Amino acid sequence: MIGIIIGIASVITIIALGNGVKQKMISEFQTSNSGEQTTEISYDGEESASSGFTTSDVSQVKQQFGRELSHVEFKKDTNNISINSATVGNSNVGTSLSLLKSPMSSSRLIYGRNLSKADLALDQHLILLSSKLAKKVYGNAKNALGTAIMINGISYRVKGIFKPSGYDKYSVNFLLSQKTYYSGTTINRANTLKLTVKKGYGASKVTNEVVSYLKKHGQNRRAGNYSYFDEGALLKSISTVMDVLTYFISAIAGISLFIAGIGVMNMMYISVSERTQEIGIRLAVGATQKNILWQFLMESIMLTVGGGLVGFLIGWGFSSMISLLIPYHIHAIVTLGNFLLAFGVSSAVGIIFGLLPATQASKRNLIDILR
Amino acid sequence: MILLEKINKFYRQGNQMVHILHDISLTIEQGEFVGIMGQSGSGKSTLINIIGFLDRQYQGDYIFKDENISKYNNKKLTTLRNQNVGFVFQNFKLIQNMSVAENVALPLMYAGFKKKTIRKKVSDVLTKVGLAGYERSVPTQLSGGQQQRVSIARAIIGNPTFLIADEPTGALDSQTSKEIMTLFKDLNTTNKTTIIIVTHDPQVGQQMDRLLTILDGHLTSDSGVHKNEI
Repeated sequence: MIGIIIGIASVITIIALGNGVKQKMISEFQTSNSGEQTTEISYDGEESASSGFTTSDVSQVKQQFGRELSHVEFKKDTNNISINSATVGNSNVGTSLSLLKSPMSSSRLIYGRNLSKADLALDQHLILLSSKLAKKVYGNAKNALGTAIMINGISYRVKGIFKPSGYDKYSVNFLLSQKTYYSGTTINRANTLKLTVKKGYGASKVTNEVVSYLKKHGQNRRAGNYSYFDEGALLKSISTVMDVLTYFISAIAGISLFIAGIGVMNMMYISVSERTQEIGIRLAVGATQKNILWQFLMESIMLTVGGGLVGFLIGWGFSSMISLLIPYHIHAIVTLGNFLLAFGVSSAVGIIFGLLPATQASKRNLIDILR
Repeated sequence: MILLEKINKFYRQGNQMVHILHDISLTIEQGEFVGIMGQSGSGKSTLINIIGFLDRQYQGDYIFKDENISKYNNKKLTTLRNQNVGFVFQNFKLIQNMSVAENVALPLMYAGFKKKTIRKKVSDVLTKVGLAGYERSVPTQLSGGQQQRVSIARAIIGNPTFLIADEPTGALDSQTSKEIMTLFKDLNTTNKTTIIIVTHDPQVGQQMDRLLTILDGHLTSDSGVHKNEI
């Protein structure tokens, strides 16, 4: 009985967690309601200032993969965008900038004022300058406040000086509002291409095809490399590990169930021999051998199914508890199928190990019993 | 109704065959109150096992209601037993962990009656044996006489054609024995149920309408034959 509870509980625990991982994987695949999935191809240029995808690339991909893709567009870059020329003070610099959707944390601000929410939402031509560049151009960083900076022919007024950092979006020289930067411009180049794959086509397969097409026909194929980071593949490998783990635990649970089954068989044999009189009486008053067989079989099934259901509940609780303890927000998911599995396995154990004692009970010689 | 013709029964004991019944031939008619007497080991229990469709390993013919049942298979015999025979045993043979009502209901349950019908019949039959209101009791709470009444209730609930009682008073004191015998007589006269009682108590044997005596597997005397002739 305890063996059955443990066996079923462990199987349900691992299966519930496995389900959680699979669920996570599906949601990470960015499947929209219509069943479409989006993927991204990025371009790494050898020259830092170049952007990989051009409008002609987009139209070529659209033409070539019209059947599989519903949408091809540039992804508006927000971080570390390279620009060829910006005029700061009197000097021309090739540099990079990041775009803000929400205000920068004020702890980075050194002089001046931060860009507020309103500044970002309205089409204000305001900009934040890194202290490094400001010092280089103006000597004292404070002097940069209020000066004008020309980027791509548009002038911005410096509102504040911020402290740049290592390798994230703040490693750039300029910070400005995303809305302002893209307003009025149609982007004709980008470093990331966003694909929307139609329902029924494997997202990673199609994307890989697009990547290899671009490697042959893309405009900037000689200056850089196209790559596709398959998040799905990563999660798939996790789920493969989960699958292997599931088989392993199932094997252990199988042994536990087998031992439990032998215990049940033993119990049933004892029950049959203790209740010889009862069997005799039942046979004498008109029970058939089949009736007796079913009676003992049902008793053994009830025993194991009871254990199975308790095990199912314990497994459910245990897996939910584990899912609270592990990171990545994996929720334990128990389905109706799992319930039926627990039910089926435990009743199968009941039938397999109850059959022999029940047959023995039904084959008892009536005259010997009643003597 | 019951017609036995040249019944012989052997069984193996170690290496030798024991011939336990020798050419038993007898008839029992509907409504008779028959006693079978004999010493222990004389074969009377074997004989009632054959009459009560419990044993089918014998030679000879058993004609029950104009049908030869000696070649019936186990399943057919079980149905026949369920519909026609009620058993009362010496040590009551009640199932200890079931209530009186459940014990009494067993034959009807196996015959496939509806629960509602069963409940009504159970209370009827318990009233008949003088145990009204004992439905929920457990056999161990009852006295020997009461337990035997439950066992009789179980035997008669299916309205059997005949009743077989193997030493029904063997485990009871003389006072309760008398009560149980009165109950049997009542059943015989009011319901016209055929009753076959096995006993080695001459006191009980005397109360029978007809008495068969068995000695070493031979039917040695049959008082009924004389009665019928007279």
